[in-house]
Amino acid sequence: MNKYAVEFKGTKEGVTIYCLEGADFTEILSDLAAKLRQRASFFGDAEVSIDLGNRELTEEEREALITTVTKNSRLRLKSIHSSQEKAPAITSAKRQGEMEDLSLDGFKEGRALVIKRTLRSGQYIRYPGHVIVLGDVNPGAEIAADGDIYVFGTLRGIAHAGANGDRTASVVALRLAPTQLRIADVISRAPDHDDLPDQPEYAYVQDLRILIAAITAKQNT
Amino acid sequence: MGEVIVITSGKGGVGKTTTTANLGVGLALAQKKVVLIDADIGLRNLDVVMGLENRIVYDLVDVVEGRCRVKQALIRDKRYDNLFLLPAAQTRDKNAVSPEQMKKLCEELKQEFDFVLVDCPAGIEQGFRNAIAGADRALIVTTPEVSAVRDADRIIGLLEAAEIKSFRLVINRLRPEMVKRGDMLDIDDILEILAIELIGVIPDDEKIIISTNRGEQVVTNANDSPAGKAYLNIAQRLLGETVPFLDLYQNQSFFSRLKRLIGLGG
Repeated sequence: MNKYAVEFKGTKEGVTIYCLEGADFTEILSDLAAKLRQRASFFGDAEVSIDLGNRELTEEEREALITTVTKNSRLRLKSIHSSQEKAPAITSAKRQGEMEDLSLDGFKEGRALVIKRTLRSGQYIRYPGHVIVLGDVNPGAEIAADGDIYVFGTLRGIAHAGANGDRTASVVALRLAPTQLRIADVISRAPDHDDLPDQPEYAYVQDLRILIAAITAKQNT
Repeated sequence: MGEVIVITSGKGGVGKTTTTANLGVGLALAQKKVVLIDADIGLRNLDVVMGLENRIVYDLVDVVEGRCRVKQALIRDKRYDNLFLLPAAQTRDKNAVSPEQMKKLCEELKQEFDFVLVDCPAGIEQGFRNAIAGADRALIVTTPEVSAVRDADRIIGLLEAAEIKSFRLVINRLRPEMVKRGDMLDIDDILEILAIELIGVIPDDEKIIISTNRGEQVVTNANDSPAGKAYLNIAQRLLGETVPFLDLYQNQSFFSRLKRLIGLGG
């Protein structure tokens, strides 16, 4: 049995507990409980976050992890996250020195569904990530994505980005002429009389309103 | 072995039955052996449009339920010996037939006929599923109205899902003078949304109503009727011939026609 299933690191923001690759979940729980008991007085009531690595937890496992921390220490649990949410590919690329002078600002990562055809009236896509359409989204078709929506074609149907509540999500289309746009809980509809735009545009939320801007070459958003 | 073509639209009243009847006659004029199936069970029309209503003894449901042989139910056209109609039942509904039964029927008719044209009911329910079950390809009929185009788009999606790979578009009842005024969707507007290949454009023509009421088809008098000519052209395109599209904008000025030709005009 691997004795070292978790690792503690102190940072300016507080303590981070790393769950090591390859350790199974019961090992993590027992090692974590032991280490917390040993160092309870040392850490006091500091803020702690748990980094799960590439692991994905079920609700029960998440509960068990929280209970272990609260039972064995006075640490205040701030977050539990996996590296996937923290963009591992970008950071590893940075680590390799390929992108050293590049800020991570404007980088977004996550799984994506690529649809290489036109979505027609009555067709509905729900996807827990980004959705990329190489084709049109016709009126009467609907896409709901937890992430962003990119349409390399004309978007005339309904697009709902950030469908699980993420207001930083956006909708991009070569021709953005949707029946209705939704980003998280913000909804806007097309003006009643509007011509097809002649350039690519993107839609985003600002001050609880959906704004639309043209994509120009100089843009870095 | 023949080919099964379903004529469908989603929306009602756009001209599926008229198109089926005219293409049937058009193909019969080209000496093909053709059978028209009216799949609109409970709301049959094709027999009326063909002027064959009084000859119906057996119908589609009688055939699939085994009360008669297919040959007994087929009605030969009044004018064309190589054109037949398999009428729908009027006293039953769409659930009287299953997609498997339709498929079997189409397979059987394909052995005997060059073309099996299926007149699909409006809607996307059981009747639609029956009508497309045995189809090799589809003709989608739409009119230059947003609602009809929307429904056509829905139908194309369903045909794709049903793995019918080959479909072409018929735009019916176009009024060039309204398009010119900007009061009607143009061919290009429709094609931009639907993005499928066009097989023909039928101009709005009151001769359709006159001849339909008489149980005749405009395609028989193609020289008198622009719609008849357009249907004849579609029949020929179905046979694989290359026929240039009619110039529906004949009354336009030379300059605007020139612009249209070189792709500048709206």
